[in-house]
This record gives sequence, structure tokens and C-alpha cells, in this order.
Amino acid sequence: MSVLTLLLVVPAAAGLACLLTRSRRVLAALGVLAFGITLALGVCLLRQVLTGGAVTEWGEFLRADALSAWMVLLISTVSLATSLYAGRYFQRDLAAGAVTPGRVREFFVLTPLFAAGMFLVVLANSLGVMWAAVEATALSSVLLVALYNRRTSLEGAWKYVMLGSLGLALALLGTVFVYAAACKSNPRPLPSFNWSHLMTVAPQLDPRLIRLAFVFVLLGYGTKAGLAPMHTWLPDAHGEAPSPTSAMLSGVSLKVALYALLRFHILTTACLGSGFSGHLLLGLGLLSMFLAAPFILVQENLKRMLAYSSLEHVGLICVGIGLGTPVTIFGALLHMGYHALTKPVLFFAAGNIHQTFHTLEFRLIGHGVLKTLPVTVLCLGLAAVAATGLPPFGLFFSELTVISGGIAAGHTTVSVLVLGALIACFCGMLLQFTRILPGEPKGGRHHDGRAWDGVPAMGLLLGGLLLFSVWLPRPLLAVMQQAAGIIGGKS
Amino acid sequence: MNTALSSDIASQLIALLAALMLVVQLLLVVQRMLLTSIRLFALQSLFLAGIAGVVAFFHGAFHVYVVVVLTLIGKVLFLPWLLDRQVRRMRIAQEIEPLVNFPTSMLICGGLTLLGYIVARPFTSLERLGNNTLAVAIALVLTGFFLMINRLKAITQVLALLTVENGVMLAAVALTTYGMPLVVELGIFFDVLVGVMILGILVYRIRETFASMDTSKLSQLKG
Repeated sequence: MSVLTLLLVVPAAAGLACLLTRSRRVLAALGVLAFGITLALGVCLLRQVLTGGAVTEWGEFLRADALSAWMVLLISTVSLATSLYAGRYFQRDLAAGAVTPGRVREFFVLTPLFAAGMFLVVLANSLGVMWAAVEATALSSVLLVALYNRRTSLEGAWKYVMLGSLGLALALLGTVFVYAAACKSNPRPLPSFNWSHLMTVAPQLDPRLIRLAFVFVLLGYGTKAGLAPMHTWLPDAHGEAPSPTSAMLSGVSLKVALYALLRFHILTTACLGSGFSGHLLLGLGLLSMFLAAPFILVQENLKRMLAYSSLEHVGLICVGIGLGTPVTIFGALLHMGYHALTKPVLFFAAGNIHQTFHTLEFRLIGHGVLKTLPVTVLCLGLAAVAATGLPPFGLFFSELTVISGGIAAGHTTVSVLVLGALIACFCGMLLQFTRILPGEPKGGRHHDGRAWDGVPAMGLLLGGLLLFSVWLPRPLLAVMQQAAGIIGGKS
Repeated sequence: MNTALSSDIASQLIALLAALMLVVQLLLVVQRMLLTSIRLFALQSLFLAGIAGVVAFFHGAFHVYVVVVLTLIGKVLFLPWLLDRQVRRMRIAQEIEPLVNFPTSMLICGGLTLLGYIVARPFTSLERLGNNTLAVAIALVLTGFFLMINRLKAITQVLALLTVENGVMLAAVALTTYGMPLVVELGIFFDVLVGVMILGILVYRIRETFASMDTSKLSQLKG
């Protein structure tokens, strides 16, 4: 079997194998092993794409170009860190009686299946299969969000699945319109629904249908990507899911939905030859950034605040792509990568805080988390500095790339607006973290021998973030440039 | 058989079945009993399968027969049976309480159907078979959304979601030559099936935890 097939088979097999065992150690080890393999396969795929262009398998059913290869790397990295973290996390949850062993196994079965669904989204060539895969990721993650079975987590899961399903129904309608356009331009029975084929006939497709299709797809996949104003499920689901799942949702799931949207954006731009879809992305991106800022400032719950911060970052990625110059698109892709390395660390640290203080409300956590959980807070602090866009971390450079690229292309107003939203979010995050991190802890709280929990996972991501912030290896740079070329329509 | 004549018959059959789907949708909007609602959904799916069957017969397209069989097994028999069993096992109260009363609901759905026809008008030239099938499809999607907002019980919201899905599948039949490629149809079919099962699990847990299926009680998370 070759790379693309293995990328789908390995996590799916790991998930099913987890059904057979009861040992928590074996469950955790299987997850780590599977995602270690997919990361290696991702690197393999990267090499193949860079040397020989797009890779196809099963008669073009699976297809990976530079953009897919980049997404595969992100999914593998975040999933690997998640399974590294999840073992210890659930051990403590079990000890505290917060979950049953059955639920823990449910987590280890569903998480690899969730990841396999995401791999299928980025590897499927047919837009219809891509839709089915996005739906599969939504379904596999619903029960993960509801894992704790609390009233609030059931509410979060219900909103997630209902809004998600409605959104995806609209996305399916958009997908059907694209296929109708393909049928019209090519009445031969059953034209191909492959993205690569549609791109070759893009100028002949009916522009009215494609325009309508993009609006539906934007609403649909935009809901799944958490773009404002369809983002209302996002803080509920991220806040109520177990921390490892929040990390997966925020770190990659949002970006995978965005990837699906991007495929349609590329097709629409190639068909209409105008900035119609780009302008829509730009508008929604700006709206998301501006909506995130006030909600970060007033948020009382740590994980909900982190969810709004994800909204801000997804908004910035959309703005970068919407501006549509090679520099800003490159900046957006770079931002995707750095955000995938940063956000899971924040959620892992939030998980540690949750398990120590048994709450996520800032008011109830109180001051002095630094003294109670020094190592966790060190990681949290570093990741927070990175997420707010301060140097020396990569997010600073990617944000700068988008803003300066915007100014260079003459979009000064947009760039200034983006800068304003970024500063507002920065102030909000800073204020919120100063509420809990420094100071003297309330009486009777000192660290209880779990200081190093979760450090391997957080260390892996932060190490990667620091390394890639100062030194971007040539293959990564090349793959992002190629991906930016694909999005910019110069493949 | 004369091809012009047969395609004419096919068009009329499809238009008739699509209209019946819309009628069933409107009956669903004003239906008081939960179990009857589930049967109405099964009936609507049967009409959808009928449309796919007509398309398959007149084009002689074998892969569409597969879609017909899948729709019959999945949406006409299996899903209604699953929902029916869940309703009986959980002893859910039969009466549906809508937010908006029935006459007003009917009026709103009439308006939404009109909207569907207006939206679909520029695209009627694209339809392969049948008249105004796309308009009916969009009307189904819109009234499905309304149905979802207008119902409080979790399980009736699932039912509303399924009618939206029926609308989308009708649009696929109306606009494309033979519906979508088989692999896509299979993917959608399994997603819907697994989706309803997972929603069923979630509904069960909500029922256990809240001792109710009223989704208006899911209102703790704000801001």
C-alpha cells in the first residue's frame, strides 16, 4: 500500500483496535503509535509532492497536492500531541471519578476515527466525497464533546450537532449546484465530480450556478469552520469538550473545514475570474475578528475564552486568503501552522488547571495559579504570548506578513482594521491571564505531585513552535509556497 | 416506445411526486402526534424513492436503482423503525407542542414555498426532468428549517433535519443528469444513517439527564 491509503488505514485501524482492549495504557499507546506513523507518512508525502507534484491513488479517487500535504502535517502533529496528553489526562479523570472506563475507551476509539475523517477530507478528490468526510468528522466528534455527560456538555454537544448538521445540509446543496454546473457544461453521462477535473473545465461552468453554490458552501462549511456569525456553537463545544478534544477541534478541525471551503474558493475564482468569493471570505474574516475581541474581554470561562481566540485566528486566516495576494495567502498558511502548534498547548494547560481547581471560571480559580502549577503555567504563559502575537514566536511573523502584504497590495483600510482587532484581542487575553496567573494562591492550595503532567505533549508543540519560528526548513517553506500558488490560482 | 412521449410522462410523474413530497411536508408542519410525524417522514421518503425510480427507469441508469433501494431500506424502513422504537421505549409524550400555533405555521410555510419558487425561477432552464422540481426542493429545505425552529422536542428536530436532507436530495435529482455519482450517494447515505443513530444516543442521554426532551431547557451556556 502506498502513502495516501496508509494515511487513511492506519488511524482507522488504530481506532477499531481500541475496541478490542480494555487496558488504558494500551489504548493510549495505540493512539500515539498511530499518529507517530501518520506524521512520518506526512513527511514522506511532503517529499513526494515536492519532487513529483500531486500524488494520486485509486484512479484519482485520492489526490494530494501541496495544500493537502500541508494539512496532513498539521492533522498528524496535533493528533499526536493530543494522544500523548490524553493518557495521563484520563488517568487523573478516572481517579477523580469524573468519567467511567467505558467513556475513556470511547474517547480512544473515536479520536483516531475523527482524525481519519479529517485525513479523508484533505485527500479526497471528489467534492461529494469531501462533503461526506466532513460530515463524518462532525459525527465522530459529537460524542467526544458529550463525553462528560454533564448537563452543560450535553447542551454543547446538541448545539454543535444541530448547527453543524444544518450547515452541512446547506453545504451539500452548494455541492449539488456545483455538480449541476458540471453536468450542464458536459452533458456526457455522469461527468467527473473530481476537483482536479472541475478545475480544468472551470471557465466553461455556469457562473450563476457557481456563484449561488459558493454562497451555500460558505454558509455551510463556514459554520463548521466557526466563522462569525455562524460561530455560536464554537464556545459551547470547545468549552464543554474534554481538553484533548477541545485541542483537536480548535487546532485542526476548524482548519479542515476551512480547507473544504478553500477548494470551492479556488474553483469559484477560476470560474468567475473575479474576487467574488475572496471578498466574501474577507468580510466574514474581518467580522469574526471584530466579534472575537469583545467576547474575549468579557469571558468568565477559560476554555470559552480560548474558543473566542480561535475565532479571531480563523478570522485572520480568512482575511489573509480573502486579500488574495501571494504574500497574504502565504501568511495565512503560515498562521494556520503556527496556530495549530499553539492552541492545543493552551487547551492542555487549561485541562490541567481544570483538574486541579475543578472549575474553569476565572473568578473561582482566583489568583496565584503560577505558584500552584508552575510548569503548566510556564507552558501556558509561553503559548499565550505566542497566541497574542508577540515576538519571538511565529504568529507574530505570520500576522505581520498578512498585514504588510495587505498594505503592499493597497488594502490599507483592511490592514489597519486587522491591526486594530489584533490589538484588542491582545489586550483582552493579557487582562484575562493577569487575573489568574500572578499573586498569592488561596489558602491550602499547593502543588500535589502532578507538576509535570502533560509536559511531554506541551513540550513537543512548544519546541516545534520555537524551532519553526526561528528556522523554517526549506521543504516546509517550499510546500507552503506551492500551496499559496494553488490558492492564488497559479498552480 | 416514443422517446419524446416517455420523457413527457417521466416529467409529469416526477412533478406529481415532488408535489406530493411538499404536501407531506405541510402535513408534518401541522401534525400533532409524534408517531404519525415519523410515518409521514417515511411516506415523504417513499415519494423521493419513487422519483429516483422514475429517473432510473426512463434513463435506464442502473446505478440510480441502487439509490432507490438504499432510500427504501434506509429512509422508508430503517430510520422510521429506529425512531419509532426510541419513542416507544422512552415513553415520550405523544403530543407535539409547537412554538407558533398551527394556522400561523401554515401561513409561514406558504410564504416559504412562494420564496422557494422565486429563488428557483432563474434556474428552471437547468432542470432535466419535471417542472418546478427545484422550487419544491428549495421549499422543502426552507420549511424544514422552519420546522426545526418551531419544535421543542429533540426528536422532532431530528425529523425536521431529515426532511431538509430529503429536500437536498430532491435538488440533486432535479438539477443533475442522473443524480450524483454512486460513491457520493453511498457516502451521504451512510452519513445520514450513522448521524441519526448518534443523534438517537444523544437524545437518549439528554432524556436521562434532564428527564425531558425539551430543548428549550438546554440554555445554560451563554456568551
